[in-house]
Amino acid sequence: MKQDDNPSPPEAARQAARLPLWANPRIGLVVLLIALIALFTTLRPAFLNTQLTLVPMQSDISVYAVVGLSQLAVLSLGHMNMAVGRMAAMSAFAAGLLHDRLDAPLIVCLLGGLATGALLGALAGLIIARTGVNSFVVTLALDFALIGLVSLLYATFTDGVAFGGLPAGMSALRTDTFADYCAGDVCGPEIPLLAPIALVAALGVGLLFRWSRIGREVLMTGANAKAALLSGIPVNLRVVQAHALSGLLAGLAGFLLSANNGSFSAGVGDGFLLPSFLAPVLGGTLLVGGAVSVLGTVLGTGITQVIYKGLNLLQFQVDELKLYIGLVLLAALSLDRLRHVLAERRGVPA
Amino acid sequence: MLLAEGLIKSFPGVRALDGATLKLAAGSVHALLGENGAGKSTLVKILTGVYRPDGGRVLLDGAEVHFGSPLEALRAGIGVVHQERNLVPEFSIAENIALQHLPHRGGVVDRTRMRAEARRCLGLLDLDLDPDTRVAELSVAQAQLVEIAKALSVDTRVLLLDEPTASLTGEEADRLYAIVRKLTAAGHAVVLVSHKLEEVFAVADTVTVLRDGHSVAQAQPLSGYTRDGIVDLMVGRAYASVRLADRTVDRAAVPALELTGVSTGHGHRDVSLSVARGEILGLYGLVGAGRTELAKALLGLGEITGGEVRVHGTPVRIRDVGQALRQYRIGYVPEDRKGEGLFLEQPIARNVGVTVWRRLARLGLIPDRGERRVVDEYTELLGIRLASPQQLAGQLSGGNQQKVSLAKWLAAECDILIVDEPTVGIDVRTKAAFHELIARLAGQGMAILLISSDLPEVVTLADRIVVLGEGAVRGELANDHDYDAVSQRVIRLIHAAPAAA
Repeated sequence: MKQDDNPSPPEAARQAARLPLWANPRIGLVVLLIALIALFTTLRPAFLNTQLTLVPMQSDISVYAVVGLSQLAVLSLGHMNMAVGRMAAMSAFAAGLLHDRLDAPLIVCLLGGLATGALLGALAGLIIARTGVNSFVVTLALDFALIGLVSLLYATFTDGVAFGGLPAGMSALRTDTFADYCAGDVCGPEIPLLAPIALVAALGVGLLFRWSRIGREVLMTGANAKAALLSGIPVNLRVVQAHALSGLLAGLAGFLLSANNGSFSAGVGDGFLLPSFLAPVLGGTLLVGGAVSVLGTVLGTGITQVIYKGLNLLQFQVDELKLYIGLVLLAALSLDRLRHVLAERRGVPA
Repeated sequence: MLLAEGLIKSFPGVRALDGATLKLAAGSVHALLGENGAGKSTLVKILTGVYRPDGGRVLLDGAEVHFGSPLEALRAGIGVVHQERNLVPEFSIAENIALQHLPHRGGVVDRTRMRAEARRCLGLLDLDLDPDTRVAELSVAQAQLVEIAKALSVDTRVLLLDEPTASLTGEEADRLYAIVRKLTAAGHAVVLVSHKLEEVFAVADTVTVLRDGHSVAQAQPLSGYTRDGIVDLMVGRAYASVRLADRTVDRAAVPALELTGVSTGHGHRDVSLSVARGEILGLYGLVGAGRTELAKALLGLGEITGGEVRVHGTPVRIRDVGQALRQYRIGYVPEDRKGEGLFLEQPIARNVGVTVWRRLARLGLIPDRGERRVVDEYTELLGIRLASPQQLAGQLSGGNQQKVSLAKWLAAECDILIVDEPTVGIDVRTKAAFHELIARLAGQGMAILLISSDLPEVVTLADRIVVLGEGAVRGELANDHDYDAVSQRVIRLIHAAPAAA
């Protein structure tokens, strides 16, 4: 989370006096989210239909929030992970293989998938730390290699591009909400079972970057690697750890999407790259490293999915959807830049 | 020739200039002096078109001028060499010099003319450099001179030099000033902004002193002032050179840090020195003598190829800064505080706390209150003036930034401290406070290795001085704090032929 999440009261008053409320990215996002929901509900009352819209949208938000967190894990360093999609695909493959060949239960499949993602991420981190090559280049190359590997593996181990079966309990993740589980007369809310998994991931990542030593040292490395090295931070290890976390979260996202789709297939992760950047950047995470916002990433995911579902209901074509999502990203970045300019103008004179 | 009068410039909450006046005559070197925050940089930025003044006017040859951008100021004949390097490292010297007015023919850069132009400018400074050399391959001093050549490439009549010798050796500075005199003889006016009063007195003809945005001395002949007189004007109160309390060092005890015949991958040969607890060892030498590299090698950032390093008598081999800190309690305050010492975009609390997180962490998590306590303790101890611990380190003044850079090592409870050029670019008053602080730390039993190119600083602080030249120890001498005598001996050591070349 950003450093200014928890300022002391006088400090908060001072900052509020310095920047207008709309310039706080997270409050802006909440307002935007509410406005969008109101807009789409007015145009299409079906937008608030639980079964048709709200439940599937929550599942999508859960998946793509984790995708965003996966990118956020390396944005903290000022790095990028261009291979989020393929790391997710490899994790889904590993999970599918564990079930298909060893008949492993759900939890073992999940852990196997997470481990695969983490290892791939660590590998990328290790190459970056050792060679000093730009993370963009390393992960892009890795992505290319994995595209080939994923097709090869599915061709070798399955009949086509997906595993046939699913571990027991996986389809419940897909179809059930807490409303299906009742204790006596009291049933849970209409929230899909995927949501708490994503929530735990978000809380974990937030905790890591806000209060843990490792997370903070990753941020310091992102802020100034030379100063980090000279302050006794094991910079290379932190780079590897951040990339491993990115891979792990990509793996989790791959698993959640497989649950959502109802199969472990080669196509998992194909559409991950753009949303992975969209959510953190909308939420105010810097591309240069040193500051991240987990809450902003979740809100950013929410906005993206609301726009997506809303335009979908209004029967826009897929290409048009992409156009509008792209425009939203541009607008968000411009607003972010405006915020910086304002902060500089009101800041300390040179 | 140039007259800026009654200049006013406000920033939110600060009046940086409040009626400052600067009057330049052709053919003279004019010193612009003042403490950090007195308004020197703001004045320079107004003259070069970076800022617009809120009030007052600028006259060039009697006609009022308004500069909308740095380019307009440049066209009017006002060139500037900023304290920070402003060259593109990957471009050649010629490209850098011609960058703002590339000669072209039919839309294509005319390389022949560009080179000829660059040669002309380099010739003005008697510089024998190939215009096709990439700037990245130049030494710091050469790059500095190329910047001056660049400033001269347009028809510059007023040349502003902001701390031009901050990264130059004495000899290189002398050469630079010889060029400055040549320029003034040719009718240019030169404004010199510098913290080094010795140089100012050697070079400048007239002086303007700024304090709190006013000019407290306006274009006065420098010959009418003494060094202390100028300092009094800058500081605004009678200022006495610090006389630090005497310390006693137990030389019989085992040295805290001892190097015996150390050679490194960077080319140091047979370096032997030792620092006792409570002692300040001055490591003096010219820029490029390898002092910083020696310090970094000690911390495991460079290779030690021979000899022995002992910490409190135990031979050690340090792998990285983390080990140096945690196992041997060695801290290093780097010379480049913006690039290496601080996280400018991070809050002060994190800048100070970074070295103690490991100690504070419970189950891998850092309690806010524990961190707050450590940060409060050390910002208070060092007298760091801050609005809040959440303020970004980059918003502090230079002196306070340096204190933050030091605070993290004190917070980490180091007992050996390597301080590299602690007061570069820091004003007179803060410098004195810093010297007292370093002396106090030594008085409390810390072993301090002070790397400095500032001879008065070394003579003020050190108990003994080791002179390093070209990777080897040229000599060691006891310091009795008598500046004239000690400085002569040090200079003789530097210019003595290397014992075994």
